[in-house]
Amino acid sequence: MKKTLLSLLCLGLFASAAPAAELTVLTAGDQNMVDYVNDYLGPLFEKQNPGTKVRVVGTGPGDAGSQKILERFEAQAKASTAKWDTDVAVVHEKFAGPMVEAAYLASYRGKIASGKLVTRTNAQMALGTKVDGYVMPMFNSQTAIAYNPALIKTPPKSYDEIVAFAQKHPKQFGYNGIKGGASGVSFVMGWIYAYGEGSAEKLMNGPFEPAETQKWGKALKALKAFNANVTLTPGNAGTLDMLARGEIAMGPVWVDMFLSWQRNGQLPPSLKLVLPAPGMPGQPMHYVIPAKSANVALAEKFVALATSPEVQAEGIVKRFNWYPGIDAQHVQKALDKATWDKLFIDVPPADLARYGKPFPIAPYNNAILEAYEREVLN
Amino acid sequence: MPNSLSRHPRLAALALVTPALAMVALFFLLPLLASVVGAFETPEGPGLANFSKAFALYSRDMLFTLAIIGGATLLTGLGAVAIAGYLTLGECPLAVAALRWLYRWPLFIPFIVVGQIARSFLAKNGLMNNALIGAGLLDPLSATGMLDWRGLILAFAWKQIPFVALLVAGAMASLDRGGIEAARNLGASRPRILWEILLPQVAPSLLTALILSFVTMMSVLSVPLMVASQSPTLLTVDIAFRINAYRDYGLANALGMISLAISATVAWFYLRHSLREKR
Repeated sequence: MKKTLLSLLCLGLFASAAPAAELTVLTAGDQNMVDYVNDYLGPLFEKQNPGTKVRVVGTGPGDAGSQKILERFEAQAKASTAKWDTDVAVVHEKFAGPMVEAAYLASYRGKIASGKLVTRTNAQMALGTKVDGYVMPMFNSQTAIAYNPALIKTPPKSYDEIVAFAQKHPKQFGYNGIKGGASGVSFVMGWIYAYGEGSAEKLMNGPFEPAETQKWGKALKALKAFNANVTLTPGNAGTLDMLARGEIAMGPVWVDMFLSWQRNGQLPPSLKLVLPAPGMPGQPMHYVIPAKSANVALAEKFVALATSPEVQAEGIVKRFNWYPGIDAQHVQKALDKATWDKLFIDVPPADLARYGKPFPIAPYNNAILEAYEREVLN
Repeated sequence: MPNSLSRHPRLAALALVTPALAMVALFFLLPLLASVVGAFETPEGPGLANFSKAFALYSRDMLFTLAIIGGATLLTGLGAVAIAGYLTLGECPLAVAALRWLYRWPLFIPFIVVGQIARSFLAKNGLMNNALIGAGLLDPLSATGMLDWRGLILAFAWKQIPFVALLVAGAMASLDRGGIEAARNLGASRPRILWEILLPQVAPSLLTALILSFVTMMSVLSVPLMVASQSPTLLTVDIAFRINAYRDYGLANALGMISLAISATVAWFYLRHSLREKR
């Protein structure tokens, strides 16, 4: 009897290890990132690779989510764990650099078919750090100014026009400062690009020079005066909420969030977007594979599928309103015209190319945020 | 034959308390120590740089935090005493039963949901203003949102009043009703009975509940994030921002220490008070 039990137990132990492979995906970002893998990408991959199981774990919205992934890698590296518990991770641009520098990641882009479909510079450099080969952009997101055309006949084409508008219509422009999400941060970075006395190019591409950080005094003073005329909103969603309720007429938003909310009926369909000169930052989310993943080959296959033109068209653009991660022309072929036009209706590809900027490299990014805290908030 | 533990009762006591002590040491004291040490760590070696920067950047937020949490504690106290008072002295059994059934609800609602409720209720075109406008009590043009310090105080008080009311009502219910009846027979009004007879007797419970509320509110991040994460804001938002935006654990730890110092001052009152009670 004992023997039978023992053998049954052994069988159970081995049986539980039997499925071919389990692919663990960690993703930063809002719930929609988890939904994307759970509802669309995961089942598709499992269908193409019978026996595999995709397990997705969301680590939370914003930079905090990516920070958790970085810390998880750090802990496993420090503990000298032979095989890490993560096969694929989706992280914000800001965290790709530190992960590459710490040698946590595998260089895999050259090994997958879709690797050749990305030529945009943000797949080579991430906020000043060379990440070429280590990342595949899942999608690109962009901030823009959302406005209510019923109240604003001629939308602002530049930061100057936004300032003039706020002066003429106090509290009708709203943004979420720097502590309530990245759409506000993006607006502030765009402000420094527009009014900082240094070179915006240098902020985006480096190198970091401490002297450069002394050139924002005037711009920040103007921003403090501007803030007196605007409504400060609670968070990315807070700006959209206030737009929806008609409490503000204009404000910076993430394009994908704006389009998704509009599609779900949370925003009036009449609201529109504009990308003002000299531009506002956007950022990609990157797929990365830890060097010590237990299933590197399978992970590569997963990212290859996720960044194939068909999946980018159907999943990224059509279902989630994100700008594609791979070059747009490859995706356009796999999409119907109506969907393509909807994505680019307010912000045409030419404007996106001209005014869609990267965020400043990490040390400038931090220096601008801290200068904002010191000069504008105090 | 008696075993060695029963021969050494002190040893037995020590053995019994060890798991609990180890738990406290491992999961409370150790992280606290790490955070204290971290507050003094700077890239240039141990020093006070994190604290001087914390005061330079966030002194306004520190005062704001004190004012908001202090204000919310005061409002919580008033609300809780009013509810507990009515539960004890109310004369309409139906109203008392309804209030008893209703007032505890916010106890079971997480802070983040409270933040969300406050956001849709207190906004300029939110539920409250829309209701007031609909009822003709408010002119649409003069409607303003309360998603600022007012929203914070209201959201905190809304969430904490039931907790304090629960403790205070319990204390009031255990009082000897003879005193209340005597005062009533002598013609004292209900507010006067509440103020002069009930409150002095339940003051220790009220104080304890308010101190616990204060410390709880000091640690809430979700409500300020959702209601008013702008400047000035609560220290919890600044701590999260230092970590998420800059990966700056040193300054975040320093801010944590400062908020700990604020809580500790309040906790000191609590300890002093409870010690006095024990004597």
